[in-house]
Amino acid sequence: MRVLIAEDLYLLRDGMIRLIEAYGHEVVATASTGPETLDALLEHRPDVSVVDVRMPPDQSDEGLRAALAARREVPGLPILILSQHVDRLYARELLADGAGGIGYFLKESMFDADQFVEALERVAAGGTAMDPAVIAKLLSSGPSHRRLDRLTEREHEVLALMAEGLSNQAIARRLFLSDSAIGKYTTSMFGKLGITDDENGNRRVLAVLAYLDRS
Amino acid sequence: MGQLGSWVRGARAGFVRAAVVAAAGLPVPAVWIAIAAGMWEFGNPWAWTAPIVLSAVGTFLVSRPLCGFFRTLVARWTGAVIPGGYREAAPVLRMSTGYWWNGHSYAKSRKEAAEDQRLRMLWADPATRRDLRFVGAAAVAGLVAAVPLAGAGLAVAGFARSSVPLGLGGLVVAVATAPYAWRAMPPVAVRFLGPSHAMLLAGRVDELTAQRADTTVAQAAEIRRIERDLHDGAQARLVSLGLSLATAEKLMETDPAKARELMREARAGAATSLSEIRDLVHGISPPLLSERGLVDAVRALALDTPLDVTVSARAVPRLDAPIESAVYFGIAELLTNTVKHARADRARISIVWDAPHLVVGVEDDGRGGAGAPRGGGLDGLRRRLAVFDGTLEIISPEGGPTHARMTVPCES
Repeated sequence: MRVLIAEDLYLLRDGMIRLIEAYGHEVVATASTGPETLDALLEHRPDVSVVDVRMPPDQSDEGLRAALAARREVPGLPILILSQHVDRLYARELLADGAGGIGYFLKESMFDADQFVEALERVAAGGTAMDPAVIAKLLSSGPSHRRLDRLTEREHEVLALMAEGLSNQAIARRLFLSDSAIGKYTTSMFGKLGITDDENGNRRVLAVLAYLDRS
Repeated sequence: MGQLGSWVRGARAGFVRAAVVAAAGLPVPAVWIAIAAGMWEFGNPWAWTAPIVLSAVGTFLVSRPLCGFFRTLVARWTGAVIPGGYREAAPVLRMSTGYWWNGHSYAKSRKEAAEDQRLRMLWADPATRRDLRFVGAAAVAGLVAAVPLAGAGLAVAGFARSSVPLGLGGLVVAVATAPYAWRAMPPVAVRFLGPSHAMLLAGRVDELTAQRADTTVAQAAEIRRIERDLHDGAQARLVSLGLSLATAEKLMETDPAKARELMREARAGAATSLSEIRDLVHGISPPLLSERGLVDAVRALALDTPLDVTVSARAVPRLDAPIESAVYFGIAELLTNTVKHARADRARISIVWDAPHLVVGVEDDGRGGAGAPRGGGLDGLRRRLAVFDGTLEIISPEGGPTHARMTVPCES
């Protein structure tokens, strides 16, 4: 994969390059400010980009804004946003265009390098990757969390993994269950929540996330 | 003869002063008396509307300069300074819309805005009512001061009509009262021209409001600085640490040498982030300050300063934590300035508890020339001390040395 890294702190940028290269992917460009990021995104059109939320010049949410602007130009441009804190508002803004190919991760999620690179690959393939911490927040205190009381514990687990962006197969692997068992859980879960199942895996994930974020 | 000469000079000077007081104090009341007399004499009061309105506007406009004049007189003759206590105008600002805002209304030009503000201030300021009252009080002082003038007038009139007793009497009155007549004015001015209790309180409220705003801004900036230091410093280092470890884990089998190198880096990174956090904590609240108090913390600070710093302290008790902290960081700022700008070799810090004040002196043997321009570091320090009613004085002639003194009232 051709990867772009936008991160202003040299230390982190360096670490991320080494990690991604250790997994055999190629870092094609780096950026360290918001405007640079937007230019690099549009110029290189990388397979996937890792973009820090907070960057110069204002040290506010330049990275997020650059990512959203780039995706307005190139719908579905795969971007994984990194942040040092989880914020539901950011997740909502990123998901708003419903185009997929988006991720929102805490920086420390990179420590589980296998999972991080897997998420990166998923985003590159047009999928969704939400940080478990973001999903946990949505499930426990999101606008819909009361309606989730109807789910069994297992269904809850499956829903969380699905919201993170995992496919049925990946969920099955994570929970050591068979694909058909997961299929059963999703059907009953969707029935209880009133979400129409979608053939397209990522559209389904987006529907789940939209449901969780809907009051 | 010499005594007589000095008495004559005194009488002459007194006569001039009395003339000045009478000339300044009497015209405005005279106009009003004339109007009142006119209304009394010539029946139709409505005919006097225009003169009354004109005189009212005139009195209103002339009251402030007149009071200023009396203040100058008192300062020059007795040395007593009577504070005006006028409200200060808020700055006239240009807004993004292009209009000028003076704190009350918008105007198209700066001049218009300033003029509007001046009139509003004149109208709303309690000092204006006090000034108007003083115009009345000044009439009394003016009348007293007019006695020698009247005597002189009588004398002139008497001698002109060759009425010797009248002329002599007038002369005696004029000469006898001349040295004393003006002296009624300063007490009247002190009594009526100074800021009233309410104005003093209002001034204090303004001061405190400004200080509170300053404090809030400073506090927000400080919190933001801490957040940024943590975000870019320790937090980022820990993430990088995790990344190194994750990469090392991945490379353990394929490239053990590289993995080992990453682990070493990670260990060094952990040590660095620890020291960064320690520095940050130190910058927020030096541990020694809370554990051992101001004097020991300042001694430790002196040891860390690349100058020959001596610290002397006398009878300093433990003070309120906020005050200790403000004074500590004040000393730290002064020392930093010395290191950065003064080209000094030595500095001396003295901390003296002189109940109920803490007095801190910071002296260096540098090149001097330190000032506290608005918005600079020392101005910031002065404002932080002002929160505790503390003061900062800096004596720093070109060529040095610099002597800074902080005084903070506090309870032990």
